[in-house]
Amino acid sequence: MAAGPTDADEQAGSTPGDERAVACFLVVATMAALGLAVVYIAGGQAQAEGLLLFVALGSIGVGLVLWAKRLLPEQEVTDERGSLPSGEEDLAAVDEAIDEHEVFFTQRRLLLGLLTAAGGALGLAALFPIRSLGPSPGRSLATTAWSGGDRLVDEEGRPVRVDTLSVGGILTVFPEGKEQAGDSQAVLIRVEDGLLRPRRGRETWSPEGHVAYSKICTHVGCPVGLYQQTTHELLCPCHQSTFDVLDGARPLFGPATRSLPQLPLSIDPEGFLRADGDFEEPVGPGYWNRA
Amino acid sequence: MKAGLRAGAMAAVLLGSQAVALVAATAQGGRPTAGDVRAGRELYQVACSSCHGLEGEGTDQGPTLIGVGAASADFYLSTGRMPLDNPGEQAQRGKPAYSPLQIRQLVAYVSSLGPGPAIPTVDWETGDLAEGNLLYANNCAPCHSSAGAGGALGHSTYAPSLGPATPTQVAEAIRIGPGAMPRFGPETFDEDQLAAIVRYVEYLDDPADPGGHPLGRLGPIPEGFVAWVVGLGLLLVACRWIGTRD
Amino acid sequence: MIRPLIRWVDRRLGASQFTRTALNKVFPDHWSFMLGEVAMYCLVILILTGVYLTFFFVPASEEVVYRGPYEPLQGVEMSAAYASALDISFDVRAGLVMRQMHHWAALVFIAALVLHLCRVFFTGAFRRPREINWMVGVTLLVLSIANGFFGYSLLDDLLSGTGVRVGYSIALSIPVFGTWLAFLFFGGEFPATEFITRFFVLHVLLLPALIVGLLTAHLAILWRQKHTQFRGTGRSETTITGSRLWPSYMLKSVALFFLVSAVLAGLAGLAQINPIWLYGPYDPAKAAAATAGSQPDWYVGWLDGALRLMPGWEVRAFDHTIANPFFPGVLLPGLTFAGLYLWPFLERRFSRDGEAHNLLDRPRDRPVRTAIGAAALAFYTILFVAGGNDVLAALVQIAPETITNIFRVGVIVVPLAVFFLTRAICRSLARSGMHPTEDPVGGRIERTPEGGYHSVPS
Repeated sequence: MAAGPTDADEQAGSTPGDERAVACFLVVATMAALGLAVVYIAGGQAQAEGLLLFVALGSIGVGLVLWAKRLLPEQEVTDERGSLPSGEEDLAAVDEAIDEHEVFFTQRRLLLGLLTAAGGALGLAALFPIRSLGPSPGRSLATTAWSGGDRLVDEEGRPVRVDTLSVGGILTVFPEGKEQAGDSQAVLIRVEDGLLRPRRGRETWSPEGHVAYSKICTHVGCPVGLYQQTTHELLCPCHQSTFDVLDGARPLFGPATRSLPQLPLSIDPEGFLRADGDFEEPVGPGYWNRA
Repeated sequence: MKAGLRAGAMAAVLLGSQAVALVAATAQGGRPTAGDVRAGRELYQVACSSCHGLEGEGTDQGPTLIGVGAASADFYLSTGRMPLDNPGEQAQRGKPAYSPLQIRQLVAYVSSLGPGPAIPTVDWETGDLAEGNLLYANNCAPCHSSAGAGGALGHSTYAPSLGPATPTQVAEAIRIGPGAMPRFGPETFDEDQLAAIVRYVEYLDDPADPGGHPLGRLGPIPEGFVAWVVGLGLLLVACRWIGTRD
Repeated sequence: MIRPLIRWVDRRLGASQFTRTALNKVFPDHWSFMLGEVAMYCLVILILTGVYLTFFFVPASEEVVYRGPYEPLQGVEMSAAYASALDISFDVRAGLVMRQMHHWAALVFIAALVLHLCRVFFTGAFRRPREINWMVGVTLLVLSIANGFFGYSLLDDLLSGTGVRVGYSIALSIPVFGTWLAFLFFGGEFPATEFITRFFVLHVLLLPALIVGLLTAHLAILWRQKHTQFRGTGRSETTITGSRLWPSYMLKSVALFFLVSAVLAGLAGLAQINPIWLYGPYDPAKAAAATAGSQPDWYVGWLDGALRLMPGWEVRAFDHTIANPFFPGVLLPGLTFAGLYLWPFLERRFSRDGEAHNLLDRPRDRPVRTAIGAAALAFYTILFVAGGNDVLAALVQIAPETITNIFRVGVIVVPLAVFFLTRAICRSLARSGMHPTEDPVGGRIERTPEGGYHSVPS
């Protein structure tokens, strides 16, 4: 390095010390980059990689800032902005360029109209392939895979017996053979006898304290998985909708507006729990056609 | 004066019964004995009967202990949840109020009140980690979070963080369903499934963190906070350094 | 060496005049003007790391069995997408740093965008002739938030999968054509299996193309119109003061790029983000699992908070439903962005000021605008915090119902209070001439003839 100030130093008002500082950072950056290569070849390690990258990139950055602030002359300049809108002559020239040939279009109103119609029709037709993206909703939202006689199975496919759940227990259940259906997941809860207050027409739906509700929250569809045994409440982890298990999963708090649909249950002669039919209302969140 | 004498007498009885039980326990090598039950009963009368009744039948301050089993008693006592300062509030983990010997005696007494779940012996080190992961995700994560950090339930109840729990305590909690927690008996999860879940919970005590500092394992909230405060904060400092202030 | 190269290019493109103008172009140096650059450089990092990740990520929902090194998921069935994300995290050398850098860059990117938007808003830089660029900018914000959502949903882990379900349900809630929209976009009833591939196309191809295109327009318009600047001695509406592009401004800008990359790299290696292996795979068919503390990434958090705060109200009439999630999930963001788009025109109408402006306002000089902006920030911040109401509840040991109710009241009351407070502060600052964060140095207290006191800075 030069012993005294150079031309660059004189013009920029900097000292050799400034140049040394920048050099320092660039050397550190080089070493860090080499270290990065070594770490990678040695097998890689995320923290070392991140740290070395930080040092390498940061040192170059700091070096460049120092270069700009200390090794360049002070440079605050003022320029004219100039006028943004074009001058009258230019605007007139544009108008003239359009006017010159305007009549070849404006006198062809019929053709213009037909062109618009053709373009519009083609544009509309071009939208139709979007229809291929998915099926029509139809009645699919209103039914699930549950049907009468389906045995309840747990997530590992094992059928649920009447003694599987302890009092105060909860299990996620699916219709046997249709576990992948995606709209049929339900929670089976066992409460003490006599606590349930079944709704009208549902008196036979909850044998021996077993009650099953759709697990799909009626707010925006998250699985309602939190069960508070002491208060008999089901809580949804997403937005804290709370449902009363003893009262047909009526919403008590939170944004949900509808009870969780209830699955009618019965116990077969061998002691297995079976569904007596599908839910009586659509599961999951509300939508336009849902009455 | 009389109160002092009575207290002194009680203390003497306690110490005496402790000594007897200690000898008895050492002699027996660990199984609860009639001596344990007697010592436990003495302790119980002093410490627990005011809320749980003189024969464990319960009062309006505390539920019955008949039939809760050794698992329940051991869980509540060894995690320090009982004795409870405030009967109205959720029982929180704390330093156990009794020594392991005293806990054994109380457990022996409570389990003698009626048949109930025994302290589970779980061979958790041989549990299937992947199966435990799935069972945990479906049954435990909704309340205790995917990382075992715990979470809020309704009505000022909380699912606690699972870090401090020992394997036995985890198994006990699963089997008895303490407080608001649901109960998962042997018919719901068999022994293999229980071992799997316990193994996974133990894994969560020290999970893989290859990405760096885990930021409390609370998810996108601390991540957003770090992005703003550390990420953007450092960059604002950089901007102030590079640019001017007028 | 440079000179022969310039000659070679000029003989073919003839761009010397443009180059000279460009090199001499003046850019104001205020530090707050660099926020947009910070965002831009985050985008560059997003693209670089994103391209790298695209070589390893498998955008398919086919079920595979995991056989990689992460033991707690050995033998577990999961989508090929999630399995490839695990491979990137555990198997590909430097893969985890790349993935984390990409995710941290997304968080910081949108944070910088929001700060940049605030700077433009509070200084009135959106006024004529810059309304077009303002609208381009708002569009960039919308596209970036959407792209972030699609990006973190691609990983198909439990947490983001839950978010996809929420998105589907919000689409369902749209009146008249909501079910059609959801079925077409996702390919059927949830859990349609198409969404990973479709999100991939959106996240990697369509939205980045739109973002880069709009950003180019944004910069081109800025170049044409020249940057705004703060008032000061020697500054006027018809001049621009700062440093020239070459060498000063370009050097500083390149330096800023390195510093942005450095910070993102540091975060990428030292701060773990989105540990997908802990959440486990999302099983949309069973959808049996969710975690306590389910939150989206921060820039969607305000929507989640709105969903939580919305009380259980719904519109039901004549056998049809406008479902509850429609109001916080569609109407609220719709109004938010409509308000943002229309703001320059609304302000022009209400302030009756249609002039072109190249000089910026100090926030205090426009008390109503600043107060509205502050109130809006308060509103969205409260929504964001409400999105973590369960985590907050566990932290402060107050029931989540109580916290939710407090926020329900707060989200109305606090922005109103902030509006009046901010307006008062602005007016008082404008009167006194004091700097908002510096103490007055050697000010005098004067007494007016009516008997009141006021301070005069020296």
